[in-house]
Amino acid sequence: MAPKAMTFKANSVIYFKGDISDKIYILKSGKVSMNSEDIETGQEVRDLIQTGEFFGVKSALGKYPREESAVVLSDAEVIQFTVPEFEQFVAQNTRVIMKMLKVFSNQLRRIHARVSSLLVTEEKTDPESGLFGIGQYYLNKKMYAQALYVFRRYLTYYPSGKFAKEAANNIAMAEQYAQKYGQGKGPEIGSSTPIPDKRPTGPTPVAVRAELSDVAKVYYNGVSLFGQNKFQEALDEFKKVAEQKEDEEYAVKALFEIGRCLFQLKQFDAAIRQFSGLIQKYPKLPDLPEALYYIGQCYEEKGEGDRALGFYKKILTMTTEADPVQRKVKKALRALEEKSK
Amino acid sequence: MNLNLAAFERFAVRFQKGDIIFVEYEPGDSFYLIQSGRVQISKIMGNIEKTLDILYPGEIFGEMAILEEAPRSANAIALDNVKALEFNRANFEILMRGNPAIALKLLKLFTKRIYDQRRRFMILTLDDIQARVMDVFLMLAETDAGGQQEGEKREFKTTIDDIAHWAGLPTEKCREVINHFMNQRRIEVLPDKIIVKNLNEFARFVNSRRKNLAT
Repeated sequence: MAPKAMTFKANSVIYFKGDISDKIYILKSGKVSMNSEDIETGQEVRDLIQTGEFFGVKSALGKYPREESAVVLSDAEVIQFTVPEFEQFVAQNTRVIMKMLKVFSNQLRRIHARVSSLLVTEEKTDPESGLFGIGQYYLNKKMYAQALYVFRRYLTYYPSGKFAKEAANNIAMAEQYAQKYGQGKGPEIGSSTPIPDKRPTGPTPVAVRAELSDVAKVYYNGVSLFGQNKFQEALDEFKKVAEQKEDEEYAVKALFEIGRCLFQLKQFDAAIRQFSGLIQKYPKLPDLPEALYYIGQCYEEKGEGDRALGFYKKILTMTTEADPVQRKVKKALRALEEKSK
Repeated sequence: MNLNLAAFERFAVRFQKGDIIFVEYEPGDSFYLIQSGRVQISKIMGNIEKTLDILYPGEIFGEMAILEEAPRSANAIALDNVKALEFNRANFEILMRGNPAIALKLLKLFTKRIYDQRRRFMILTLDDIQARVMDVFLMLAETDAGGQQEGEKREFKTTIDDIAHWAGLPTEKCREVINHFMNQRRIEVLPDKIIVKNLNEFARFVNSRRKNLAT
């Protein structure tokens, strides 16, 4: 079987609206009109097919009833394809598919907009509140890893958004709970329904902010400021945390954050010194690859791509594909390659 | 399908089991073709996370992103360790040109999306809310590929929340309509399904309302 050339007389119909068929056509000569009714107003719509244009594609590919009648206005020559013939034809001709993708995506965009315009009853959530709400959902379900993902995303997209502070607090809470209780465990969060704790020795639900030490408060204030792109202010907070002696865990975390602030403030030499110092002092740092990545980034910013390369390669040897930092590094390596071309 | 994917290894991304790929409302600028592992598409509705779909290798998700940088409309979560090709506007053309099979797949997906949206639009243009609710059942029957075809009585694995969503009605309003149908013994609502006693009757009613609209 091969695509079939066919001729149609004026005033004949190639197919009717509502037909189900697997035939696709391309117009070679003559005039063919697509007659349909607007799905909203019911008004008749007529579209002329251009010579060389395909028609009947959507309904044939999707096995849906034809949405329009194909009416011949003046004697027409067409080529008829079955779906497999059409697929074979376009597989050798990606340009045709690309063109159709553009047409279809335009149609999809239009119909999408029309549907949205009718959805007045569905209360619309703005994306910012929606995103934050998803984080809250996961946090309430004690799915800390998921909650952390969402709140971090929130702060990436809306660093000075209306929930920025709350998101930073929730990150702190989720990190703490994940560490203390583990994924899926821990006290109830939020005010929804406090569950009475019947076991005498069970963990008592306490407001988390009360549990945070003074050091931690300063640290998370820094995290919040960083999230709002207030890097200088964040730096000042982290410095306070790094200098205190009560809580080494937060001090180490702060040393790392100081490096990130310096990088954002474009003080690349200082950032390199910060991260190098950190690595020397804590060679077993869990964030070591991340620290190396920042050093690489600093060198790149300084225009020393070769030195950056060394750091990136080192990271590849110490991480697996599952590490997010490896993705970042690979991206950076590709960018470097592009540049050197 | 003979996909020439080796050349596109550099666009591959990996997610670990349980990882979030994206969540609803995030701005989206890329879409994915699954190469291995399964991906769960879900949406948080009230206090539950509802699974909308589970996708397998060879399937595409997040494709609306190449239309416009609209926020994601659902969550995508790795059910297994997942490897996927990540497409964005920058690499889209290159990937498509080298891979007619993927382009064709996307074309078919768009076809389906357009059809679904048109169908949805037709439900929403009905002014009569009873007709709207009935039309949702008709739509579900049409898309229930290979489902139970016999007779006028049909079962739907759906909930009032779902129906309300498709009908573009507040859940309470939708519940009222459904209760009304229940009192008339036209439908039965069970915990895991809704039974329509006579789908043809629904079709006649909807058609009568739609004609009114067109005049």
